[in-house]
Amino acid sequence: MFWKKKSKRVRHENKEGNQLFQKSKDLSIAAVKGLISNMDDGELIEHRINKERNITLIFIRTLIDVERLNESIIQPLKNCSEDMIHTCIASVKAGALSSLDEAQKLMMLGHVLLDDGKGRWWAVPLVNTLGRSIEQSEAETILYGPKDSFTEQIDQNITLLRRRLPVTELKTEKFSAGYLTKAKVVLMYVEGIANPDIVDIARKKISKINIDMVIEQSNLAAFMEDHIHSVFPQFQQTDRPDQCAYSLGLGKIVILVANTPFALVAPITFFHLFQSPEDYIHKWMVASFLRCLRYVSYLASTTLIPLYVALTTHHYQVIPLQILFVLLESRSKLPFSPFWEALFMLLILEIIKEASLRMPSKTSTTLGTIGGIVIGQAAVEAGFVSKVLIVLVGIAAIASFLVPNYLLSKTNTLIQFAFLILSSLLGFPGIVFGMIYVLAHLNGLSSLKQPYFAPVAPLYWRDWMDFFIRAPIPWMKKRPAHVHPLFKWRYNRGDDH
Amino acid sequence: MRAFTSFMLLLSSMCLLTGCSPFASDNTVEEIAPVTFLSVEAGGEKGKLKVSTLVPPVMKEDKQFFSTNVTLLEQGRRSFNLKYYREIKLGQLRMLFIDEKVARNGIVSLIDTILTDPEVSPRLYLVVFKGDFEAFIKNRMQQQKDLDYYLYRMFKHYEKGKQGEITVTNIHEFMEKVYSPYSDPYIPVFRVDKDNFRYEGTGFFGNGKLKGGTDKNQDQFFQLLNNYHFLKNMIITPLDVSLGEVRSRVTTHVNLNDHTVSFNIHYRGRIDEYRGTKDLDRQVSIYELVDELEGYMEEGTVSLLKKLQELKVDPLEIGGQTMAPASKPMSEEDWIKFWESAKIKVDCHFELEPLSI
Amino acid sequence: MGDFILFDKTAQLGKGYIIAFANRSQMLYFILFLPKFLEMPYSLLGILAIGILSQINLFILSKCLSSKYTQQGYQGFADLLGRRTLRIIAFAGIAFIFIKMSLIILGYAEIVHQFIFPAMQLPWMILFIILLSTYIASQGMEKTLRFGIIAFLCTFWIILLYIPYFFPPGAELHDLYPLIPTDWSHNPWKGILMVWSSLSGPEYLLLLLPWLNSKQKMLRYLSIANAISILQYLLLFLGCLFFFGSTYLGKIGFPVVNMIRYLQSPVFERVEIIMISLLMFHYVFFISVLLLCLYGAIRISAGTQDKETTRKGFYAVCLLVLAGVFFIQSFYWREGKELNGWANVQLWSGAFTYLLIPSLLLAATKIKGRGSSL
Repeated sequence: MFWKKKSKRVRHENKEGNQLFQKSKDLSIAAVKGLISNMDDGELIEHRINKERNITLIFIRTLIDVERLNESIIQPLKNCSEDMIHTCIASVKAGALSSLDEAQKLMMLGHVLLDDGKGRWWAVPLVNTLGRSIEQSEAETILYGPKDSFTEQIDQNITLLRRRLPVTELKTEKFSAGYLTKAKVVLMYVEGIANPDIVDIARKKISKINIDMVIEQSNLAAFMEDHIHSVFPQFQQTDRPDQCAYSLGLGKIVILVANTPFALVAPITFFHLFQSPEDYIHKWMVASFLRCLRYVSYLASTTLIPLYVALTTHHYQVIPLQILFVLLESRSKLPFSPFWEALFMLLILEIIKEASLRMPSKTSTTLGTIGGIVIGQAAVEAGFVSKVLIVLVGIAAIASFLVPNYLLSKTNTLIQFAFLILSSLLGFPGIVFGMIYVLAHLNGLSSLKQPYFAPVAPLYWRDWMDFFIRAPIPWMKKRPAHVHPLFKWRYNRGDDH
Repeated sequence: MRAFTSFMLLLSSMCLLTGCSPFASDNTVEEIAPVTFLSVEAGGEKGKLKVSTLVPPVMKEDKQFFSTNVTLLEQGRRSFNLKYYREIKLGQLRMLFIDEKVARNGIVSLIDTILTDPEVSPRLYLVVFKGDFEAFIKNRMQQQKDLDYYLYRMFKHYEKGKQGEITVTNIHEFMEKVYSPYSDPYIPVFRVDKDNFRYEGTGFFGNGKLKGGTDKNQDQFFQLLNNYHFLKNMIITPLDVSLGEVRSRVTTHVNLNDHTVSFNIHYRGRIDEYRGTKDLDRQVSIYELVDELEGYMEEGTVSLLKKLQELKVDPLEIGGQTMAPASKPMSEEDWIKFWESAKIKVDCHFELEPLSI
Repeated sequence: MGDFILFDKTAQLGKGYIIAFANRSQMLYFILFLPKFLEMPYSLLGILAIGILSQINLFILSKCLSSKYTQQGYQGFADLLGRRTLRIIAFAGIAFIFIKMSLIILGYAEIVHQFIFPAMQLPWMILFIILLSTYIASQGMEKTLRFGIIAFLCTFWIILLYIPYFFPPGAELHDLYPLIPTDWSHNPWKGILMVWSSLSGPEYLLLLLPWLNSKQKMLRYLSIANAISILQYLLLFLGCLFFFGSTYLGKIGFPVVNMIRYLQSPVFERVEIIMISLLMFHYVFFISVLLLCLYGAIRISAGTQDKETTRKGFYAVCLLVLAGVFFIQSFYWREGKELNGWANVQLWSGAFTYLLIPSLLLAATKIKGRGSSL
């Protein structure tokens, strides 16, 4: 919050960078040939039609659909006698080119450049739609509910959303980000529901992005977040089209990035990260219970170990006698103080967690064995750590997995370490110090300039319907207030719709 | 965000510079020995106390019994510390055993000392013992390593159950009663010897000094008159009967003009065991039994109340009845003066629950 | 984000904030030992009477809050009182704010010292509290006030911990007698004054007006907050009476905290340690609001209110406060169970500001209003 943004410097370098890629030459065969020099997959085909006309096709083989090249372009042109040959290519729309720069851009996006022999240049789109088929979401799995998820094909993703919201109000605005990647970024929102101010903020933020590469959605989010020094994600990243469609319908915006199966959803609140699509599938009481369980387990995953340290270093009076005896017995011969003991165990746990993510799935059983038995049991038997701590570490680790949002579930590690230090210094008051800090920090955050800690602060009472408890869906008659939707009511009010 | 960084920097530097830690003392559990009880006896010399305890608290280590003669209570802890390799802490102190002789001389100042220690919980059970507590502990600690813990569990159980088996008082209840003008505290009295730790009855305090107590039989009447109004099991040997789940409803009335205190008590209970001569299948004999029970209860209650009058104590908070929203309360002395000479009227009614067979 | 703006304003804060702020401001440090000073059961009536008085005062306050001068913030006050007077008043206000703030910090640090860490050195606690408050305050007034809701939600339920004390066998009706004073041997005036002083706090809303939504029924929300506070006072006092009895109550240092020591939960015994830790939410929030008020007051009295807020200036103020609190801490040590000089100063200054500021300000607006209409 106190560091000034350093993006200015980036912008400065960027200008020079752009010049590197600008070629101010005229559009000529020689110049276009220059573009594909040293490119193995760049191809040039010269073709004679009507005896006197020589047409030239230049394209990148790997970017276009070679199978369609013949039927879409070459065959129609063979018999073309028109002067304006693009009228012969009926199946796809050919556009006239005016500059080399444009030609280069379109060629790299999968167009075939076509010289009609009379000095006119055309670009015929013949994009290769090679990609993965639609599969199940792996990041957020649910049992009962739609199974499809986004793929790397942005158009396919838009299709998935459009099918769910078949209204013309669903707008898609196209941007491109990164002067190397030229990634297509699509901003989606429902006109008439989404607040134009928020859309505008998003629009400005996207167009201001000035960097060489935007490979995936997190690169984009990094530039769009209001607070880059926060551990908390300010955009929801999801690969579930149903989730995105639901958010769009509530008045949020969705940002799709080409070549990545994840969409960014904003504005969100901290509490959104605890919501799972499954909440709306269960009965409301079950869903409310599960949701509360998630909050509690997030709290437990951050404070359980610090509490242990606080209790065993400072507040032995607080522990009921029965438990104290267990602690006394399990700790009496340990070489480390509770703080160091907990620190080591947490570090080891993080190492195991991280390793299990990176390892191929076949080796994960080995990892489980090593992690569970060798490190857990052996550490106790060797007298390095107490049994109680092992139990608590296990509970805390499992509790951290209950949070549906992966990015959020990773924040708890850092918070846990900070709390650990505080609790070893100041016991309970130390943990509360930490909590106040974290809550004050959350209170100061914003997502697309909208308060992050809503509906608590600022207080939006009616959003509490979908907060700790998930009220029955027919009761949720209004869209969440923190999104400031233009159209508040979720049901059709006759005269308005 | 610089605040965050500087905050973390500050913390980590504080963590590293342990010499700069905000604390002078540390309560790391493996370095302390939280004792669960203290026993206080009269010391060898006049004005001295003999404080003893058992360390370590439950652990698979050999127990050691510490005892020392001191003038101040804290001195005891200090001298234990000098003897033992772990620091003695009072934060988990659960029981305070007080010798009868000490109790007779007054224990308010002793309890005040303990209460001033912020570590000590106000839920600290008070027990008066008669006999050689040290011998009991020394004898038993060999066989039963977590003896003190089980004693604590016993008190906790009876406190929670509120079943009137034994009186349980904690330090807060005691002090509240000491300061309250119309009630006097009471503490369970145990008789100990080398092998036994046996409940004897309730000891009554006046002005912070032990005045006297009930025997096991009288104690039943006290339990029914007092707070819980419940006895899980009441044994009446003269009538060869044992009653279960006896509940009582007591209405007390103080008549200042007549100089009388009247008690109207309704009992309700179940016959658990009967070894008498009556044929309980006949309704008439049930009525007879009820009459006998009422007579017995009246007699017992009156004798208990007379004893309280003799001792000039009012553990039943009868004096509270004299208070009214708008009148000036009597002073404590006035009340005790009234109480010791008041006429007592007791009226008992007994209801027996239907026999199950 | 690069600019350091403390007093900007992007949204109007609604009724929740007013209730939370007013209620929390009335539940500060004094409440923790108030029952000890009230002692006799008939002080219940005293609390009620003061509650009604406070309600009247809040009525006056709400008139002030809705006058057209105060609505405009600094400019309005300047028009109302004149720049010069305002500077003098702001200068005097520095003292009042500082007294209140330092007492909260010192009082809390003392409780922590007494109940949780007897071996701890007080300056550490003070340092931590001020650091945290500085962090919250540096986010700006709006976010600090928003934090009030969090503080309210994290501490409000503590009152529920006192419910067990209302059930027998601990609670007996004759603990509450005599309800009507029969003799005046016990002097209740200090206790009554303390209730009044403890109820002070809502007058700080005057300084926060620009952030509040002016179109709402201020009086209603203030009344709700006041009623909740009075109810809490009564609950706490009744609980203390039931638990300690009036004679013993007079001998207990912090009855409201001491009571909690008696509670036991299956997981944690000594609930008071947890409760005291959680109380920090509430104190830290209030200290950060007061820090911002203090900074504002210093700016006004220095005549620099039109310049931009600077990080350096704000931190300098916080450092000054830290130094000041250390200074007071080293001089005024509480001995025994009575209040020390510093708490007495706050006792009077709180009572003074709560009593006089709303009425004086209302009088000023009336006079000014009459003057301008002529």
